Amino acid sequence: MGESEKTEEAEEMAELLRDRFRLSVITIAEAEGKSASKRHGMEIKEPVVACISDLAFKFAGVLQNPDDSQVLANDVRLFAQHAGRKSVNMEDVMLSAHRNEHLLGLLRSFSRDLKSKEPKTGKTRKRPSKKDDVIDAS
Amino acid sequence: MENTFDTDLVYSIFKLVWRRKAADREEEAEVIMDTDVAGTSRKNRPMTANSNALRVSCELLQIFVTEAVQRAAIIAEAEGNNRIEPTHLERILPQLLLDF
Repeated sequence: MGESEKTEEAEEMAELLRDRFRLSVITIAEAEGKSASKRHGMEIKEPVVACISDLAFKFAGVLQNPDDSQVLANDVRLFAQHAGRKSVNMEDVMLSAHRNEHLLGLLRSFSRDLKSKEPKTGKTRKRPSKKDDVIDAS
Repeated sequence: MENTFDTDLVYSIFKLVWRRKAADREEEAEVIMDTDVAGTSRKNRPMTANSNALRVSCELLQIFVTEAVQRAAIIAEAEGNNRIEPTHLERILPQLLLDF
């Protein structure tokens, strides 16, 4: 009894997340459509947006049928597990895009931006790294 | 590029998937051996993600969506149509899925 209740709860949660996800996709797609064509914005038909949102959601990970492929969420989990970590970090996400050189480049520059945006908090805590010590010693 | 996904949203999606997977594994483990409480509890410690990882994930998903729209827009424009129809999405879909 308790288990079926649990799965039901998870289903509800998935529905809710999907709706929120779809809202984000709609705003992104509409903004993109407006800037897509130079002369005048592209109008995107409703079913197209719904389709894209579904695709992206499946790509991210949650599906009605748990046997289907859950790409991103599982990839990053497996990569982190393989590295013996209990938390996912940027490298894991970037690894999941390793098959596409260009995409990897985009993510690299994005992560570099992220790192450069918050140097203060990082540097105050950072001790001189071990690599440097090794170089100094040798 | 102020339009992007909410990191909290992506995190809850990830956590949902991980929780499901953890539950599946728990069931499997129970079938194999009934009394290894310590082992399962160690395995079931929940997965977490740091904030930068989530931000990169959001970026990845956003690139997926914008790429889909842009490619479909190119096809639509080539056809002299200023509205993206499902057929345009169909045309670009195979390559899009291969690229991600």
